[in-house]
Amino acid sequence: MKKSIAILMSSVLALSLMTSCGGSKNDDKENGSQNKNTKNEEQLQKEEDVTLRVLAGQSTTDAGTEDMIDAALAEKYPHIKLEWECVDWGNDFQPKMQVYMQSELPDIMIGKAQDVSTYGSLGLLADLEGKPYMDEVLDAAKPGVSLDGKIYGLTYNAQYQGVYYNRDMFKENGWEIPDTHEELQAIIDDCHAKGITPFASHMVDTWSIGNVTMQFAVNEVFRDTPDWGDKFRAGEVNFSDSEEYKHCYEYNKLIYDNTWSDQTFSMEQTACDAKMVQGEAAMKVSGSWSIQNFLDIDENFDFGVFPFPNQTGDSKLLFEPNITFMASADSEHLDAIDKVFEVITGDKDLALEIYNYTKTAPMIKDVTPTFPNPSQSDIDKYAENDRIQDVNLGNNQLQWGGFQEENAKDIAEYLQGNISLEEALAAADARRENSKS
Amino acid sequence: MNTHDSKFKKHDRIQYLILLLPGLIIFTIGLIIPMLLGFYYSFTSWNGMTAEKPFAGLSNYYRLFHDTYAAQAWIFTIKFTLLNTILQNIGAILLAVALDSAIKLKKLFRTIFFIPCLISALVVGFIWLKLYGNVLPALMDYLGKDINTMLFGRDDTVLAGLIIANNWQWIGYWMLIYLAALQSIPQELYSAAKVDGANAFQQFFFVTLPMLAPALTICIVGITTGSLKVYDLLVASTNGGPGRASTSIIYYIYSTAINGRQYGYGSALSVSLIVVLLIVALIQLRVLKRREVQL
Repeated sequence: MKKSIAILMSSVLALSLMTSCGGSKNDDKENGSQNKNTKNEEQLQKEEDVTLRVLAGQSTTDAGTEDMIDAALAEKYPHIKLEWECVDWGNDFQPKMQVYMQSELPDIMIGKAQDVSTYGSLGLLADLEGKPYMDEVLDAAKPGVSLDGKIYGLTYNAQYQGVYYNRDMFKENGWEIPDTHEELQAIIDDCHAKGITPFASHMVDTWSIGNVTMQFAVNEVFRDTPDWGDKFRAGEVNFSDSEEYKHCYEYNKLIYDNTWSDQTFSMEQTACDAKMVQGEAAMKVSGSWSIQNFLDIDENFDFGVFPFPNQTGDSKLLFEPNITFMASADSEHLDAIDKVFEVITGDKDLALEIYNYTKTAPMIKDVTPTFPNPSQSDIDKYAENDRIQDVNLGNNQLQWGGFQEENAKDIAEYLQGNISLEEALAAADARRENSKS
Repeated sequence: MNTHDSKFKKHDRIQYLILLLPGLIIFTIGLIIPMLLGFYYSFTSWNGMTAEKPFAGLSNYYRLFHDTYAAQAWIFTIKFTLLNTILQNIGAILLAVALDSAIKLKKLFRTIFFIPCLISALVVGFIWLKLYGNVLPALMDYLGKDINTMLFGRDDTVLAGLIIANNWQWIGYWMLIYLAALQSIPQELYSAAKVDGANAFQQFFFVTLPMLAPALTICIVGITTGSLKVYDLLVASTNGGPGRASTSIIYYIYSTAINGRQYGYGSALSVSLIVVLLIVALIQLRVLKRREVQL
């Protein structure tokens, strides 16, 4: 009996297997011609489909722009897909680039204008000079991404840097915008007299110290000696004997002594911006990246911006070309990249959407952001008086990783009283060879 | 018979080799080759970006012994490791003993203590940054206490802040290992000790602790090597600061080699770390193995 059941089961199993195999074969035959046609169509489609790899080094304001670009691209060039790898520009963009340089660069890289001097000089970036879409980019955005007469980057937006101030607080207390240090000190003194914290700050972020120091340096050091960084590398100037750079380090101390010193090394940007909006501080040395936070926290927050005063009382408001698109020189899809760049520069609705979202200034022609920016009137005033300066004047000469970043750590140690000002300045001199790759 | 044996052994050997091969290939590609490459790069002044890797001889190793930042990073790492190893082991043993007793809800407590180790160290860093910076100050304000809880904000308290965060995350994990070891101790040993008149403390020191020696070896080696390699906790909480006050050697290697574009020097630092890790692990294993009780 058992034997019979076993034979029956085996037969059923074998039969079902044969049937299923046979069935699939027959189906194949029946659907053969139809499949062949579909396959041909798919093949054609596949030949046209292009997937571009994108490494996006983003600032805090930029996360989310990739979806907007995807949507605009899908409308005009549905066969081009972007495969995004979004990383934090400050911490991860350069390490990622180093990894890819050992294998194969992504087709498109999104960084900051200062990256052009690093990677363009190594011959890694495609020349965008003469491309029709470059006509859509403001002329002011081109010098910062040019090397040896070639343009290696497409700068999309810019951020203004300076002292963001609580406009209502300034009005209520009768404070005027300071041009000199004496005027700034008068405001600080009045703040103390009235129990107001003069400056908001978040020094747990090393980049914040590095950023404000470069802001000071552009107006204090590079203003009179535009090639100070090159001279520094050539050994002609030093941090230690530069009175101007000494001032820049001392300005950090001025902020540290006039902020919530017990909290600043425990506070990150969002918390700091929130305190600023809540009226817990009068000013903050920062950039447009704070605007997104300010308005997210309170859309009615009224603020303005002025340049941090220098010793001569004529400092300029700083702007930093921010989102910068770069193409790999070795990409097999340069035509597709051109199409992507064409959409990015040509689609004004996309541009408007991105500028309104990031709360930044346009570097593309004929686009005026519509987001409420209370500091715009101040920016316009400085622009009218030719008091605007590109901060890349300094950033392109003294690289961030390994130099500005390390100097910022020294400044933090100086602020905490672990080393003297002279030691902090001497430490910058000691890493002279790391000031640029 | 002998021929058959040797044929069988040869066949076995080939089979073992075939079984070992995939692991060996992965180990060689993933560990041995990068280590050898790192060793080679440590003799160059490569910046990690260019095709050329200029030979620099022993200059990176010479610099290593004169680098005050590296020394500072080593000092922080050693302090962090020692404190972690001591506190985490003591805490984990005490918790394990407590939760091995007949207290109520012990399974719930075990779960609660274990959960933090399932969280990424990056998240842990962020949680404690917020706790020290926002939650605790608000609590102190509410309670009317003037206590500065911002441990990450000062160079003299940042180590303590990180030790607390790290212990909070890992103590439950090591507790489980001790718990498993505790439960494998034969009850007869305690009965015999009781007959000999041993009180609870004597039972703990003369029965429990010696029997926990194998688990102690695992935990000490695990905590030590883990602490020597601390990185992600720092990235999410202090960024190695204030200044360089909480820069561990791994953090320093990364910021030097990658952000600082000194791949050659960073490789030399890595080689020094590997040597230290090997020495520490070997010493610990030799010393601790001698003390283990074999059942």
